[in-house]
Amino acid sequence: MIEVRKLTKYYGSFRALKEVSFSIKEGERVGLLGPNGAGKSTMMRILTGFMPASYGTATIGKYEIHEYPLEVKRLIGYLPERVSLYDEMTVKSFLKFVAKVKGLSSTQCKIAVDEVVQTCGLEEVYSRVVGVLSKGFRQRLGLAQALIGSPPVIILDEPTVGLDPQQVVEIRDLIKNLGERHTVLLSTHILSEVSLLCSRALIMNAGEIVSEITIDPTKPTVEIEQAFLKAIAREGVGIEK
Amino acid sequence: MKSAWNIGKREFISFFVTPSGYVVLGLIALLTGTAFVLSFLTYVQISQSPFQFGYTTVPDFEETFLSPYFVFCGIMIMFLSPLITMRLISEEYHKGTMELLLTYPLRDRDIIFGKFGSALAVLLLAVGLIAINVFLLLPFTDMEWSVFLFGLCSVFLMGMAILSLGLFISSLITYPITAGLVSFGVYLLLFIVGNVAEKMPQKTSLPNTFPGFLRGSVENIYWLFRSLLLELPLDNHAKNMALGIFEPKDIVYYLLCTAFFVFLTFRALESRNWRK
Repeated sequence: MIEVRKLTKYYGSFRALKEVSFSIKEGERVGLLGPNGAGKSTMMRILTGFMPASYGTATIGKYEIHEYPLEVKRLIGYLPERVSLYDEMTVKSFLKFVAKVKGLSSTQCKIAVDEVVQTCGLEEVYSRVVGVLSKGFRQRLGLAQALIGSPPVIILDEPTVGLDPQQVVEIRDLIKNLGERHTVLLSTHILSEVSLLCSRALIMNAGEIVSEITIDPTKPTVEIEQAFLKAIAREGVGIEK
Repeated sequence: MKSAWNIGKREFISFFVTPSGYVVLGLIALLTGTAFVLSFLTYVQISQSPFQFGYTTVPDFEETFLSPYFVFCGIMIMFLSPLITMRLISEEYHKGTMELLLTYPLRDRDIIFGKFGSALAVLLLAVGLIAINVFLLLPFTDMEWSVFLFGLCSVFLMGMAILSLGLFISSLITYPITAGLVSFGVYLLLFIVGNVAEKMPQKTSLPNTFPGFLRGSVENIYWLFRSLLLELPLDNHAKNMALGIFEPKDIVYYLLCTAFFVFLTFRALESRNWRK
């Protein structure tokens, strides 16, 4: 479903991604693990069409992201790291707006909004203004806008960052319940999150994929921790200028 | 274009959910209304005793009152329009909502036409407020309809060009307040340039001691420079139209100006894909 080949990104002379390659099968849930500044968000922003890569290709479904950006964006639901929403709108009007710009018809729009409101537990804040929502509800709303129209690929950039423990559990449950209808790419630096939510983890450090782990839910998180620390401690992996 | 409509609709509604829409339209209503009353009272005084004011007969209503009023309204809109345009694109960058918009299946044209369309809708409301002022005089005067319609048209066309320049500036700057201030500065500069150009002598000539070819070249360059300064300001072309004179070049000027700045906005938004 997602095929990334030698993706490289430069910010001026700083190389944020270095020839990253990986592939994700349909229905798979993959975690992108890495310390801060590893290039996870850059990778996600390129995959969602927010910014172009300097070199390399990425295909989602059967479309290359630079050649067919609109087709790719129709396949994707994206939750950015910093969930910025239109604060002056109500939850209802915001979700309707997202459904419409995603190209859903009026009938589909109503069904899609009702569905995500139920899935993300937004019933009690449905008529409230977005600006007054708690951080947890904002995150749910961010997830809801990503899920509208049921896109086959869901890309979530650090979905639980800045939430209190109860909100973290709620958001994780939401992601778990997405079912196998979606291919999920999730970025995080919380190891336990990956072991709970994903079947595979790609470990990034300094703009490179340095290791890949298949997650066995029966094994303790400590093993992932050790693999992660070993991968990011490798010498010779550095940021080139 | 359905997506552009949705973007424009959201933008227009959010303009009136926050106080900014009411502040802008309120200010336009207050300033143009006050100017209307004061100019009308002055015109009444002039028409009662024209000799006192240096006129030999009662001056023409359209020429003395109506068209200068429309030009004034256009200038008011010019100086208040940064309040409309500053938020259009720069606010999306500032709040971070651009990341969402650019990852939805939207074309750049949907975003730009949607945003510009919402600004034009606010401008239409402003033109409507100005029209109400003038409508109040209909029972008491036999106003020329061409002056009335062309006057409103000149305010709208001038406003459209101004908004397109503001939209472009908003696409370059990520802080709405800065975008607003820069727009205001640019409008002020254009306004001053226009006024300075009008006061410049029509010809300049070097002393006879200079060689003939040099004097000729300087005169030509001066003429070109002055003509350019006279044509550049956005309010200058509205003056003829507000008098009810149909000059295709004035309409073409505003349309080209709008198209040029909208085109530049496209390039500014596209530039995110140029940064390798």
